[in-house]
Amino acid sequence: MTRQITIDPITRIEGHARVEIDIDDQQRVIGSIFKVLDFRGWETFLLGTQVEKMPLVTPRICGTCSVSHHLTSVKAVDQIFGVEPPPSAIMLRYVMNLAGYLHSHSIHIFALAAPDLLLSPETPPAARNLVGLIQNDKTATIAKMALELRRISTDIGEEIGGRGIHPVTAVAGGMAQPLAEETRVRLFHRAQRGLELTKQLFDAVTTALSVNLDVLDSLPLPSYYLGMVNNGCLDHYQGLLRALTPNSTQPSLEFNGTEWGRYLKEQSTPDSYAKAVFLQTENNSLQPYRVGPLARINCCDKIDTPLANEALQQLRARFGHPCHQTPLYHYTRLIELLYAAEKLVVLLNDRSICSNQIRTPLQNITGIGIGVLEAPRGVLIHDYRTNANGIVTAVNLMVATQQNITAINQTIGMAAQQLLDNHNDEMLMNGIEMGIRCYDPCLSCATHRFGEMKMEIIIRHNHQIIRNLRRF
Amino acid sequence: MTTLKTFSFEWLSGCSGCEVAFADLHENLPTVLAEISLVRFPILMDIKEYPCADVGVITGSIRTEHDREAAHKMRNSCDIIVALGTCPVYGGPHAGYQINPDDMLRHAFYNNPTTITKNAPKNIPELLENRTLDTEIKVDAYLPGCPPHPRMIIEGLRTLIDPNFRPKFGQHNICFSCPRKMEETQISAIRRNFDGIPNPNLCFLSQGYICLGSVTIDRCLAPCPKAGIPCFSCSGPSLPVLLEPQKDMRVLVAERIAQLTNISVTAIIAELIRNEKTYNLFVNGSAMLRTKPTARIAPIIQENR
Repeated sequence: MTRQITIDPITRIEGHARVEIDIDDQQRVIGSIFKVLDFRGWETFLLGTQVEKMPLVTPRICGTCSVSHHLTSVKAVDQIFGVEPPPSAIMLRYVMNLAGYLHSHSIHIFALAAPDLLLSPETPPAARNLVGLIQNDKTATIAKMALELRRISTDIGEEIGGRGIHPVTAVAGGMAQPLAEETRVRLFHRAQRGLELTKQLFDAVTTALSVNLDVLDSLPLPSYYLGMVNNGCLDHYQGLLRALTPNSTQPSLEFNGTEWGRYLKEQSTPDSYAKAVFLQTENNSLQPYRVGPLARINCCDKIDTPLANEALQQLRARFGHPCHQTPLYHYTRLIELLYAAEKLVVLLNDRSICSNQIRTPLQNITGIGIGVLEAPRGVLIHDYRTNANGIVTAVNLMVATQQNITAINQTIGMAAQQLLDNHNDEMLMNGIEMGIRCYDPCLSCATHRFGEMKMEIIIRHNHQIIRNLRRF
Repeated sequence: MTTLKTFSFEWLSGCSGCEVAFADLHENLPTVLAEISLVRFPILMDIKEYPCADVGVITGSIRTEHDREAAHKMRNSCDIIVALGTCPVYGGPHAGYQINPDDMLRHAFYNNPTTITKNAPKNIPELLENRTLDTEIKVDAYLPGCPPHPRMIIEGLRTLIDPNFRPKFGQHNICFSCPRKMEETQISAIRRNFDGIPNPNLCFLSQGYICLGSVTIDRCLAPCPKAGIPCFSCSGPSLPVLLEPQKDMRVLVAERIAQLTNISVTAIIAELIRNEKTYNLFVNGSAMLRTKPTARIAPIIQENR
């Protein structure tokens, strides 16, 4: 006999995602699914359009990670035209991408994760949100710093990308225009302030966490990981894709992202618009894997900025390598925030970023372009095919949240199992919600929101509703 | 003391960029919030119901049954409905030529090279053909833009609060905010975005690039041409193209380029028709443009079905 728990997030998430959990008579979780109910059909309607316009249109896939789609798309388009951008253009693209990271990670940490991590579990739901953080003496400073950091990231992003949301300046072969020296100096100072804030934010959050370490040590999920590395270093823009097995620090596989079709296999499920993705290992078995901050930090050997690298070593000393505790997604997101802030200062301190050589003339149309990038939530792939005139004939997109879907389902099951006997409804909902939130799932950003998830849980036994809990 | 106008917000299918634009009001946000009374705003408030309001603001387009219901609930609870962003106004890029949901599922689930299963999900809500907001409910005010510039959002909302307020933005096209100089040149062939490196001070049309700024309404302050990218009309058509039956994007752009360069009107019109899917990407879901014969949206939809 099974009973089913349905968590149906209301308001914004309604119509987009829903959680269902099946439980047997022995109170064991026998199935859990995070349903994605939204589908916009990008792979279809882009057919027949001019490929050079893809970097302008595809940011509209997601308004909060538009930078990632813009850059992934332009990397694919570079290949369509068979060109490598000059070094200064690549530097500018790095800056745009890292500013996007500052924006996305800081919002996630302060608006979504901070209530989970910094407020005590007894905090009433009405205060477990952004407003609660600002009003709480202990957390107000953190919230204000994160807001200032966000402002800095939008300033830098808008300057380099031409517009803050849906940037436009990365073009086939490089960038549309060079960076003026006086702008570089201004942005350099902004980046310095950003690094100062990030250091304070990192210290404040890790100090607050040090009294709450059992949160970080929960929900261990040994899994495969996939992340980009560049000569062994963490890199969000270019490099090889490295896969790690659950039990080894040695890479099990490294491949060029353009070969993704050989290694990554998608499967549909009857209950969700999101396809699950599996890694095809050497013995041809299909393994679910995780992407995003935890995966990237597990996959890299080191980080090429000092503070982030120190934090990486401390993480490994404390939690092992590879580390599997799901809430460490938040911790690794903080490490990446440090990396992004440090790297921005380095890049903007380099005068060669202002070179006028920012665009490689285009050669011919190759017809194949595969762009791979690390988006804040994980590996992002845009795969295009065109005819000889550069008109799109096929589009295949692989987004981060899709790759985490199997792990999200498992994490929900694990969180539910731990809390099932708990008769405090609020604790059960918080626990499941917190598990989902580690991944920062982006369903056209349905859950990338300020404040808490609205949800409804229905528990059925013998088709009778025996427990109905809701939070609107 | 006068009572503050009440505002209610709702989001349908979209990318959430308009909501980010609203958050990007930064220090202006508290000022805006002090001038109005919010009765529903999913970013800031935990309200599920649809309380009565003077103004209802809707972003995103209608794609699911949930979106459709939400739109009607907003209409029934608000005196004025504002469509904010290109999606509710014209359908946005995912309006996808009214491609039917079966075709979309086919590309994503059956004919997808990296997908090893061959079945589409079935236990999930059905998709509707994508539609603009005004095909479902009456819309009183339109603010296109992908997303609209924060200044347009503030001034647009302020016109609804204060009858004496006159916004600084009007019915201009993008060229109004673009610093590039229009000059006659000897250019003799159309160039795509990847052909050569454009002169940063000269109008794109003078250089033979198809820039849609002259036929696009300015709701963004022209960031793209300022950053070296020809306008691709994410805010949708200018008012003459939208409202005057004899005017259309193709002829207006072609005549302008032909006057500035040595390229013939016929060549430009042929190029615009050949790639009209690209040039109409943000507005193809618009019922209004589909019924305008000179807009040629209907034939594009036919050809792409």
